Amino acid sequence: MSPTAIVTQRGAADAPCIRLRGVGLRYYGERGETEALSNIDLDIAEGEFVAFLGPTGCGKSSLLRLVSDLVAPTSGTVTIRGGKAGAARRANDFGFVFQDPALLSWRTAARNVQLPLEVVSYPVEDQRAHCEALLDSVGLLKFKDAYPHELSGGMKQRVAIVRALAWNASILLMDEPFSALDELTKNQLQDDLLRIWNAERKTVLFVTHNISEAVYLADRVVVMSPHPGRIRTILPVRLPRPRTEEMREQPEFLSQVRAAREFLRT
Amino acid sequence: MSSRKPALGRPQWLDRALPPAVILVVLLAFWQGCVRALDLPPWLLPAPSDIAARFGRTASLGYHTGMTVAEALAGFAIAAVLGVGLSGSIVHSRFLERGLLPYIIVSNAIPIIAIMPLLTIWFGFGIVPKIMICAIISFFPIVTNTTRGLRAADPRIMELMRSINATPLQVFTKVQLPSALPFIFAGFKIAASLALVGAVVAEFYSSDRGLGYLIITSATELRTDLLFVAIVILAVLGVVSFSIFGRLERWATHGQEAKALI
Repeated sequence: MSPTAIVTQRGAADAPCIRLRGVGLRYYGERGETEALSNIDLDIAEGEFVAFLGPTGCGKSSLLRLVSDLVAPTSGTVTIRGGKAGAARRANDFGFVFQDPALLSWRTAARNVQLPLEVVSYPVEDQRAHCEALLDSVGLLKFKDAYPHELSGGMKQRVAIVRALAWNASILLMDEPFSALDELTKNQLQDDLLRIWNAERKTVLFVTHNISEAVYLADRVVVMSPHPGRIRTILPVRLPRPRTEEMREQPEFLSQVRAAREFLRT
Repeated sequence: MSSRKPALGRPQWLDRALPPAVILVVLLAFWQGCVRALDLPPWLLPAPSDIAARFGRTASLGYHTGMTVAEALAGFAIAAVLGVGLSGSIVHSRFLERGLLPYIIVSNAIPIIAIMPLLTIWFGFGIVPKIMICAIISFFPIVTNTTRGLRAADPRIMELMRSINATPLQVFTKVQLPSALPFIFAGFKIAASLALVGAVVAEFYSSDRGLGYLIITSATELRTDLLFVAIVILAVLGVVSFSIFGRLERWATHGQEAKALI
């Protein structure tokens, strides 16, 4: 039995971590009304890695903001572990990573990781050591006292990722976190992310417009279409874990990528 | 940053300070030479040596300088407190922004010297109207730069803070204020030079002390050497305030650029 099948089974048996039912989102802007998302139904299991794939304007980012209660849906319900999304947000369940690292330029790498700890009232005396351990886990201990402008793009994004992991949020929301990086750095960070996910089994919602990235990382790929954003199909990824660099060349991987591409096109 | 190596045995600051110092000495020597060669009367153009001598012989310089600096500093301090406070409320309230911003802009459009007689009618010839002029003139750059700075916070970090349920106070102290600091100091830098201008102009209009008073009286008495002394002191004061806030600005940006809005 493949690991994917296990995850799917567990998702069916237990209450889902995240449940979206009939979720729609409309913006009222200067040019009238825009429908960003329409009728989204989705269950995400505890510890599942789900990628959201689609062109710009398909509401992928809006979906993350809905799940984390940064915006409220105009229709339907968002349920996190049986409760309201707002309650999960107040319990600090969400860790956010953006396309841009969005680090504070006046704080060192370690102090950037520390920022959320100061907010979620993590024990003050442990903050510093915890941040250094996190940086060490992505090979950045040497750069703990460096300011963001002294770090490369990949280093900055690593800092942003461990910042999102710092207070042990159980749901990781990632909005095209690697799309601004070069191919080599991107692959390294993907492997870093999978390693962290494998160790901590957080629920990950990963937005991307890169097909092979979605297939390489995720248990399931949610393919979306734009105007309004809706789910076109959900593809389970039938590849064993752990995913390795060699898999990128294997026929199973390539056929899954091809399948996802077909759905994006039609 | 220069790619050339500093000369051996000389510290870097000396390398940087030497060229302007040499130019200054050459210019002063040329000036001195012209005045002596053409035998210009001292009321028209005193020689640098005359100005230096006047500087040494005028006992009241400290008093006048202190007066002007006190007025400028007090006005600047009032503007800084009120300006930063007002910006803080403007960015948190759309009503205040829409209601106050037009008047702030209009107030900046009024030439400051036009208000001076009015302030004198209300507050007399003492130090109070001068401080008020300094406060009014330095208020605008502080408000505009601080407002812009408080808005400069990265929207994604603001979302991140919201997603972990940060309080408005935490957002303000940890994100908004630090990202505004470079802008605030840039505003202070402009405001401090303006406050000095305000103090001198106010002293022109009505006073019996201060560098502005010294300039007006020495001009009417054709004591041109004393006039030059006052100008040199003002130049030094301007440079000092500019470099203090320039340093603070650089410290707050950690080497990154921030552009001032006048």
